[in-house]
This record gives sequence, structure tokens and C-alpha cells, in this order.
Amino acid sequence: MDLTRAKIRDLRKMLDSGEISAAELCKEYLDKIEEKDNSLLSYITVTKDEAMKTAENAQKIINEGKASALTGIPLAIKDNICTDGIKTTCASKMLGDFIPPYNATVIEKLNEQGYVLLGKTSMDEFAMGGSTQTSAFAKTKNPYDLERVPGGSSGGSAAAVAASLTPAALGSDTGGSIRQPASFCGVTGIKPTYGRVSRYGLVAFASSLDQIGPIANDARDCAILLNAICGGDRHDATSAKIDTPDFTEKLGQPIKGMKIALPKEFYDGVDDTVRACVTDAAKELEKQGATLVECSMPGLKYAIPAYYLIACAEAASNLSRFDGIKYGYRGEGRTYNELIIDSRNKGFGEEVKRRILLGNYALSSGYYDAYYKKALALKQEIIKEYNDIFEQADVILTPTAPTPAYKIGAQDNDPVKMYLADICTVTVNIAGLPGISTTCGYTADAGLPIGMSLIGKRFDEQTILQVADAFEQGFVPVAPKF
Amino acid sequence: MAVDMKTIEHLCGLSKLTYDEKGMEKVMGEMSSIIDLMDEIKGFDLTYDDTKDGNEIRFCDTREDVPEKSFETEKLLSNAENTDGCYVVPKVVE
Amino acid sequence: MSQYYPTMGLEIHAELLTKSKVFCTCSAEFGGTPNSRCCPVCSGLPGTLPVLNQKAVEYIIKAGYVMNCEISRFTKWDRKNYFYPDLPKAYQISQMPRPVCLSGNVKINANGEDKIIRINRIHLEEDAGKLVHDDVNRISLADYNRCGIPLIEIVTEPDFHSADEVIAFMEKVRLLLQYAGICDCKMEQGSIRCDVNISIAPKGSDELGTRTELKNLNSLKAIAKAIEIEIDRQEELLDNGESVVQETRRFNEALGETVAMRSKEDAHDYRYFPDPDIPPIIFTEEELEEIKNSIPELPEQRVERYVNSLGLKKADADIIVNDKRVCDFFDEALSAYDNPKAIANYIVGELTRRINLGEADMDSLKVSGKDFARLVELLQTDKLSQSNAKVVLGKMIETGEKPDDIAEKDDLWIKEDNDLLAKTIDEIIANNPKPVEQYKNGDQKVFGFFMGQANKALKGAASPKAIQEYLKKKLSE
Repeated sequence: MDLTRAKIRDLRKMLDSGEISAAELCKEYLDKIEEKDNSLLSYITVTKDEAMKTAENAQKIINEGKASALTGIPLAIKDNICTDGIKTTCASKMLGDFIPPYNATVIEKLNEQGYVLLGKTSMDEFAMGGSTQTSAFAKTKNPYDLERVPGGSSGGSAAAVAASLTPAALGSDTGGSIRQPASFCGVTGIKPTYGRVSRYGLVAFASSLDQIGPIANDARDCAILLNAICGGDRHDATSAKIDTPDFTEKLGQPIKGMKIALPKEFYDGVDDTVRACVTDAAKELEKQGATLVECSMPGLKYAIPAYYLIACAEAASNLSRFDGIKYGYRGEGRTYNELIIDSRNKGFGEEVKRRILLGNYALSSGYYDAYYKKALALKQEIIKEYNDIFEQADVILTPTAPTPAYKIGAQDNDPVKMYLADICTVTVNIAGLPGISTTCGYTADAGLPIGMSLIGKRFDEQTILQVADAFEQGFVPVAPKF
Repeated sequence: MAVDMKTIEHLCGLSKLTYDEKGMEKVMGEMSSIIDLMDEIKGFDLTYDDTKDGNEIRFCDTREDVPEKSFETEKLLSNAENTDGCYVVPKVVE
Repeated sequence: MSQYYPTMGLEIHAELLTKSKVFCTCSAEFGGTPNSRCCPVCSGLPGTLPVLNQKAVEYIIKAGYVMNCEISRFTKWDRKNYFYPDLPKAYQISQMPRPVCLSGNVKINANGEDKIIRINRIHLEEDAGKLVHDDVNRISLADYNRCGIPLIEIVTEPDFHSADEVIAFMEKVRLLLQYAGICDCKMEQGSIRCDVNISIAPKGSDELGTRTELKNLNSLKAIAKAIEIEIDRQEELLDNGESVVQETRRFNEALGETVAMRSKEDAHDYRYFPDPDIPPIIFTEEELEEIKNSIPELPEQRVERYVNSLGLKKADADIIVNDKRVCDFFDEALSAYDNPKAIANYIVGELTRRINLGEADMDSLKVSGKDFARLVELLQTDKLSQSNAKVVLGKMIETGEKPDDIAEKDDLWIKEDNDLLAKTIDEIIANNPKPVEQYKNGDQKVFGFFMGQANKALKGAASPKAIQEYLKKKLSE
């Protein structure tokens, strides 16, 4: 069977018609993972036996005619989402052997539908990075060019989808970690509105910014997955207790009359090829009847420090619980203090340590007002600037990343350069808005995917899915020759 | 240099991390350039009003006080060095 | 006479009587086998999130009202970051810039003088776990059952100048919290704990001296003792030209001294910041009003009711109200037998006497207020003699049986056996010609002697009233 860029909805039809059984489908993916992932390194854990077992159970549900959208559909899950009884490492030596005793809410929801877990995908350690090269276990490569990064932090999920080692996956996005790897790997990824999806069971990086979301072959599959995982959760006080629409509802509706804003600052610092590609995409949407609106976001120039101050402050606190006592890597030491220090020294990688130091700097006495509080002020300003833009537009279109996928090693040892590369995505998290990245072209020379992002109003995922889908309908994606 | 050695040592203390001498030099360099980047935010001149975040919930939307069954002790401790249902901690010096 | 003047402020931690913990659904009951009242949330597992308990918020608002505080209409939670093995998340969820309650006051009476103690703030936070130290193996064992029990921290202004004032305040706060149904205030179980900030300054000085913080004060007695010892220590330092160091000191009751605690490394930089997992809360006026109106009758109101409406003596009312369990017992008894004075007398005279003697314990009392009321009624209506009533009460305390059943089984009823009465009293009069003579000569006091003799001989076979009537009749013959 040709799994290349297989869509969830097509697999659904095949399963429901009996053209293929859930177990056969699962086996196809497992075989392909076994064959291909040695060079791609997108998975940290492949849950072969459990997958076959759940596939067989799913088949029973299908046979009874009780299948829902994801019954028997294989999926991959980012390795920072807790799975009961299945190793969840956050790609860190710190959690190398950690087996959660509980499921994240999104996993519970997927289980209810009878999905099939193929495995846990690699990522930057504790989701801190944009290359998946800080993973302690699987430094995932880009299926379009194995010498390049897949982006990150959900690089394993994006690469696995792009290489058809899973039809779709879950990722998490704190500052672009779904959208940027989706862009680098030529697939579609959506970060839902903050509060749309429960964070319970997502190992926290920055609690006020983190959000789980789907990575799939197109906006339609993203909508199907989002339908499955969204909704208020009594285990997450920050999840929104509001009605959830059917995210597939507006797909296919014409975008005629839609106002699309292009804030100029987002286009200033990006590669020429990226700018040209996204601008062409805007014109294509205009052709479909949308109106382009020029606008500005002056606060963007402070977005990187604001983002890193907030994210790292929260991270420093969130990661303090890793002391080697309750779970995770246990170092040596005669006293409690010695044991924690040794556990953390050896358990955490360099980038994680830098961010913990930065976070504690931003929060420590004497610096709090100048850094952390200032960042919160900027957050309020960015929300205001977005609101202003949404007064005159329905969605916002920006590049997803300043460049296409870069060579592995190109940003090593330069954290500042790495941080600056997040400029196009972080404000969406700061403002808690939904954002989707879809492929809008390929570089002429290397054929590397280029992504564009659509940003929507709070809780208006439907419109950005609709616009992304409208664009995708007229776009021919090129699968990697991987 | 945006930060001095003393500040880095203080941050390491707060973070429960240590570096050897060479590592300290390296991390000080990295932290200095990172903090230089963070310092750009000082050019932004607005104050924060914590009542205007718009993320508050109503009192009536908090959780009802209904106890539920706790977790199985053994499963809870399954990732930890434990004895007699307790986590084992090296002696805490008071 | 000391030349120094001590000044103290208190930080009181009180565990709230919620059924579940403050941020998860585990039981908030005291005790349990280690880590049996825990879940991924209160054990700090990665990925878990806190969800605030409404009742805990309601209780702190009540605490604010009973201590005359302002209640914030907007309140939020912060993380207090520090590493300690009893704190699984390595931060305590607490409140810094926007506590639920601000600036209140509590009236106390110490050494016969009324005084107002100002409350700086009351905030809601979570309790930490417990460590058991195993010195032989040089390890500590961590039990997180207590993690996440809701606590309020009451911070006073430095308004205390003697241990007596501190004790009076603690007792007052205990009563307020108990009557409001917020905290059971069992110091021995640690459900209320008190840290004392203490400094001394030369008399007449406007400035406060350097303060120390006293911890590990497990009883009112310990608080009074520790304060006394710490004041002495600070005085001695100043007298010797040395200075007081700002530090936390632990009271060692056995040794009778306060000892400096090794300061936790970097403990002074808690890096408080708003907890992103817990949204701030806003209250409406209606919600606050409803909570305020649900506060039960407070101690002062009860004393007032007992004195003004029920006609109790102020001293008796104070004794009853001073222990909420006794007070609730009284109210229950009253609902069964509407004779407040008789019930109050019997509680103050008999029940509290037995409690003080250790014969009864309010926490495990098998006697219901209703049964107690029945006993008083039997006594009042001459069904039981004074002495037999005491016997019945003793049995009730022992077995929890009903007074009627005990009297029946042990044959303790007043029999009203007139023949026996006549025969017994006639004999007494016959055997005591001298007192009879005295009585007839107008010495009324010897009547008591005859009553005593008759009671003793009749052993409850006749009511005091019948004895009295017959005696009077016979002695007047």
C-alpha cells in the first residue's frame, strides 16, 4: 500500500469499507517506520506491540459499525505528552526512563475514539529549541534533505508526517513549535487558541504559552484531529469552558470578501525567497476574492525578549520539580542538596540549563520589575496591537519562519541567533491566538518547503482553517523523495 | 559583559546547577549575549496592570469541593526510589 | 524590671476544613498511611495542573469577615519557588501581591484589658508534605499526604507586647475559626500553627529592634515559654553589647531554648511570580454577601444570646462558649429540653468537671446533647436523685447508653415508696432526739442534717420533695 501523504479521511473510508483492516494499516506504518526511521530519527519510542493490540480492538469497534473519526487511525504523539505506561522522555536524559502513571487529557480523548498510537516522536529537549537537535535521544532530520534540521521543537512529529511514517501527529507549540517544523517539513500544523485544548498531561515548558495541536498533511486533517482533542477540561483551569464548533464546518466555503492583513514588520527580516513566496500566496488568496490589508505591529521589535523572558521564567519554575527524588534521572549525593545538583547537572542539556538560568535571572529580586514585569506589559501591548488589526481584518498572514530549513549545526553554539529565528511565531503565543502554518512553495534550488502562517481571532480556528484549506485546494504539494 | 561571575553564581544557586571553571566561563559568555538581547525590552516604556490581563474566571467557576479516590501509592511511586510507601531522600541538613 | 520593651507579630497558619485538597480532589483528612492520599497533581508529577477548590476560597473569605478584613474583589495566586524535599513541585502555590483579605482587626482581652490587634493580610496557600528522618541510614522519607491541604496564613501587624497578648489572640482566633467552621484548630495535630516575629527595643524608643522568627511552637504553652526565653536571650545579647541577628530560630521544648536554624541556601530569593496555571478570580458583591450571610453565630454573639435571651450567668456563658464542642452540645441539649439554666448548670458543674478530671473527652464523647438534656430533665422532675443522676451520667459517659435505660437497668429511679419513707424518717427522728430538740427550739440549720441522713438512708427511694415535706410535718409535730 502506498502510504505517501495518506489523509486521515481517506484512511477512514478504507477502514470503514473494509478495504483494509486497522491491524493491516497499523502494520504498514510500523513496517515503514522500521525501514525508514533509522535514518530519519523521528521517533524516540515505537510502541509496536501496543499498537497492534489497540488496532485489533479498534477493528472490533469498526466491525460493530461504531467507528468515530479516529477509530483505527494510527497517530504519533510528541514525547512531552504523558501516556500511561509508555515512556515519556521530553527528549531529555532527565526523563529518559520516566513512565507516566496517567494519561494526558488529549490521550484520553483519542483513546475514547480508539486511535492507534504508533509511538512517541522526538523533539527539542523539554520543547526548548527550533531544530530538534537538542534531543537527547533522536536528533531528527529533515526528510527533504537529511543534512538539514526538521525544525522544532515538534520536529519528530512534523518529519514523521512529512515522511509518511504516520498520517498525522500531535505536537505542542510554545513559541512556534508546531508551526515552524510544519513549515520546515512541508506539512500543515495548527496551534489552537490558548485554552482550546487541555494542557493536562503536557509536560510544561511555559504554562501561559503552551498549547497542544495537530500536525497533518493538510488543514482538513488538522481540523479532524482538532475536533477530537479540543474542549474544556476539569483538570485544566486555563482550558476554556466554551462550546466547541465542528472545525471542518467552514472548510470548502469560499473566502470571497475575507479581509487578510499583512503586518509589514513580519516581512522585514525574512529571507527574500520566503518573502516572495508568502507574498505570492497572498496574491493567490486575493485572486480567490480576499482583500489584502496592509497594517503594522510596532510591538514586534520587543517580541523576542518578551517571549524569552516570560517563557524562561515559567520554565525555570516548571523545571524545578526535576530533582531526582520523585522521578527522572537520579544523580549521586550524600545530602539532598548534592543529589539535586548532581541530578540536574547530568539530567539537563545545555540549552535547558541556559533557559533555567535566564528564567531565574528574570525573576530574581532586583531584576523582576525590569525584565519579567516589563515582559508582561509587552504582552498586554501585543494583545492590544492584535486587537487593533482584527478591527480591520479577519485573519493575518505572515511567514512562518525567516528561512527554510537550515543545515544541521548551523546554529550550534549561538543561542541568540537561534532565539531571533522565532520572530514570526512567538507573538501568536504571547497573545494566545490560533495560528496555522501551511506550505506555500519550495525553494527553487533545493526544493525545500516554505511555510506561511495564518493567524486568527481568539477561538476562531475555523476561519484560519478555512483560509488555509482554500489555499491548499489550489496548491500541489511535493512529497519528499525520502 | 552584561553579567558578572557573581551573578552567574547566584543564578546557579537558585537553579541548583553547577559548572566547572571552564563551563562557567562559557556560560557567562552565552548568558551575557542572551541578556544583551533581553535588555532591548528596556526600550519599551509601558507599565503592567495585572488586573487587565482579561484571563480571570468567576468564583462560581472554580472546582466544587468533592473528594475523589486517590491514586494507588505503588503506581505513584513507581518512578522513584522508595521504601515503606515513601520517597527516599538523602538526609536533609537543617 | 527590664529596660527593654518587646514587640511581636504573628504569622498563623490554619488548615481549612475542606473535604478535598486545595488544588486536587484527594481527601484533605488528617493522617493516612504514607502517600495514600495523593495523586499525580499533589505529588507534583510532570504535566499535572492545579484546579482551585471553591470551598477553600469561601473559607478564607469567611476568615476575612470574622477578622473584619477587606475582601479583594480581584485575587490571584503566585508561585513561591524554593527547593525542599517536602515540596514536590519545588514551588508553593501562595498569594503575594493580591491576597484575598487585607487589613482587618481582632479584639482581644489580655490581663483584663481590651485591645485591638490589627491584621495585615490573610492569604490562601497549600501545605507541604512531611519528612521523617532516619538518622541511622542518613535518609529522610517523604510523605506527601499533607501536600495540598489548604492553608490560610494570617499575618498580624507587630501589635503584641507580651506573651499574654499573644496567647489571648491565639485563643480568640481559635474560637473565631472554629465557630465559623473554617478550621478545627488542633494545635497538637498541627492544623493551626504559629510563628512569632519578635524583637526588643529600649523602653521609650520609637524604633523596633532586629527581629528573629520563632518556629516549631506546638502548643500555647510552648508559645509562651519560647517568647519568654527568646526575650531573655535578646536582652542578654544587648546587655552584653552584642546585637541580635535576623534569623529563624527553632524552639526546642525539651531543652528549653531557641536554636538558630541553618539558613536554607538562597532561601531569601523566592522569585514570586503569578502562577500561570491558576486564573485570577473575581467576586461579585452578591457572592460575597452570600458567603458573609452564611457565617454561623460567632462566640461573642452566642455569649450575648445566652445571657440576654436565656438568662445564663455571664461566667457560665463564657465557660460554655469557650469550647465550641461544649457550646454545640449545649445548643443540642437545649433543643431537646427547654431549661437553659438547669442544663447550663449541669454542664458547667458536672460535665466540665469530669472533662477537667480527664473522665470525659469532648472529642470522643459518647453522650449526645439530647440524652444529656433528658438526664437533666429527670433530675429536675424528681425522677432521679442528685447522687443517682451522677451515677447515671458516669455510665452514660462510659457506655453511651440512654439515661432512662441505665436508671431502669440499675434500679436507680426514685420510688416514692411512702411506707419506707415514713418508716425510715420516723427511725431517724427517734434516734436523734437532740437535733430534734434543737430544731424545735428554732435552729433551722439542723434540717439539713435530717435531709442528709434521710437521703443517705433512702438511696433515692423517695424524691427530695417528698422527704422534705414528710420531715417538716414530723418535726413540727
